Amino acid sequence: MEKVCVLGAGSTKYGKLEDSITDITIQASVGAIESAGIDPKEIQAGYISNVFGVADKQVHLGPVVMSNLGIPEKPSLSIESACGSGSVSFREAFANVAAGFYDAVLVAGTEKVTHTGTEWTTTYFSYCSDFFYEGGAGASFPGLFASMARAYLTEFKATEEDLARVAVKNHENGLLNPKAHLRKKITVDDVLNSAVVASPLKLYDCCPFSDGASAVILCSEKFAKEHSKNYVNVIGSGRGGSPATLQGRDHMTTIPSTKLAAQAAYKMAGITAKDIDFAEVHDCFTIAEIVDTEDLGFFEKGQGVQAVREGRTSMKGDIAINPSGGLKSKGHPIGATGVGQVVEVFEQLTGKAGERTVQDAKIGLTHNFGATGASCAVHIFQSV
Amino acid sequence: MKQEFIDAVKSGRVLTKKCTKCGHLHLATVYFCQNCGAKGFENKILDGIGIVATYTIITVPPAGFEKYTPYAWVVMKIDGYEIRISGFLGGIASPAQLPVGAKIKITGYDDRGILLEKQ
Repeated sequence: MEKVCVLGAGSTKYGKLEDSITDITIQASVGAIESAGIDPKEIQAGYISNVFGVADKQVHLGPVVMSNLGIPEKPSLSIESACGSGSVSFREAFANVAAGFYDAVLVAGTEKVTHTGTEWTTTYFSYCSDFFYEGGAGASFPGLFASMARAYLTEFKATEEDLARVAVKNHENGLLNPKAHLRKKITVDDVLNSAVVASPLKLYDCCPFSDGASAVILCSEKFAKEHSKNYVNVIGSGRGGSPATLQGRDHMTTIPSTKLAAQAAYKMAGITAKDIDFAEVHDCFTIAEIVDTEDLGFFEKGQGVQAVREGRTSMKGDIAINPSGGLKSKGHPIGATGVGQVVEVFEQLTGKAGERTVQDAKIGLTHNFGATGASCAVHIFQSV
Repeated sequence: MKQEFIDAVKSGRVLTKKCTKCGHLHLATVYFCQNCGAKGFENKILDGIGIVATYTIITVPPAGFEKYTPYAWVVMKIDGYEIRISGFLGGIASPAQLPVGAKIKITGYDDRGILLEKQ
């Protein structure tokens, strides 16, 4: 297996964007190409992750992106795995470079939905659940995670204040990220007093619907060394699945696919959770970050809330969780999110994260899942 | 099989498939055993009664559910078996009305999916 590296990264701002889905995908891709310092013609394939291109009248994005990058002859494909599309796409690109099929590829994730409004997005996102049992019976995504939150609060005697602290922390981090969607300091009371979306989750427990695109150039170590000194090694890649429904799981306070993906990624990297300096995790809702940090092995089951209370997941804590602001503050353009996490790790490990730099970080982890964690990918990165 | 499952729900029951090799119980929409991979099943009809395993009360609904809002979406653990089923439970506005562990039952199926009510 070839060693695989991230050679460059680019991203649009996340938020409400005016440009089309095609334009933002190309903007992020050009950013990644310039960051990598390569000629577009050196790219051998494109991996495009997107869920709702239909909302902006453009599916089959790959050839449109590749043509505008001056490489219409290069193959591309689109990958959809709900909110996990970006990391799943990254994994497929990783596997192909690791196998030696390609020396350098473009991985671009993108989404444009804010123009559709809350009802459209709430409804269409619910199609990412097992619709017969969940979306079709009125379960929104906030509702599904609220059900996990209810189970967690009941089992571990945690409180809604505990959940709110996750939002407060991630908003603090996002304040330092010029590309974040919600750059606004909030308090625990702001979260508790925000409108209920699906009890016990309130508006500020939920990530926003965002537009945005992120892209990276993934390549073999040989290709990386020929082009730059500023690259990052991908040392672990893992994937896993969970029962598609919450009802199909024995425990609703854990996400099986996260554990499987993490175990596989740690094994490939030859490290354990203790070796991770910081992580970008899938905090689509505050409860998700708590569950994630336990399932990834950073804390014992039920201890994730205590870690947040003690500030152990803050920028100055034992392990900085979501230095970018996470989905909660940075935003969640669902097809882009998993790639955007890699952009953050690349910037952290190559000295480009500015004010939000995690001190002395050498190893970063990304964790991104689709739906209620029915599909998941974890990747581990190390500075050169 | 999905239609038979829906027909059973309409009469307040749950059609399950029991693996003839390992005995693992599934809702009837599965084709291979999730425990052992075998594809031999025997049908087993359960009474659609149980307790709230977890739930949420939805105030920002997807399309089609506006007129029912607020309502609960509930995961029910079926009495006597390690199997759960989820569905719509109307007329719920506050968590005090539906604590985890509350007794509920299946009452039907319509455009809101599987319908549940408090026992």
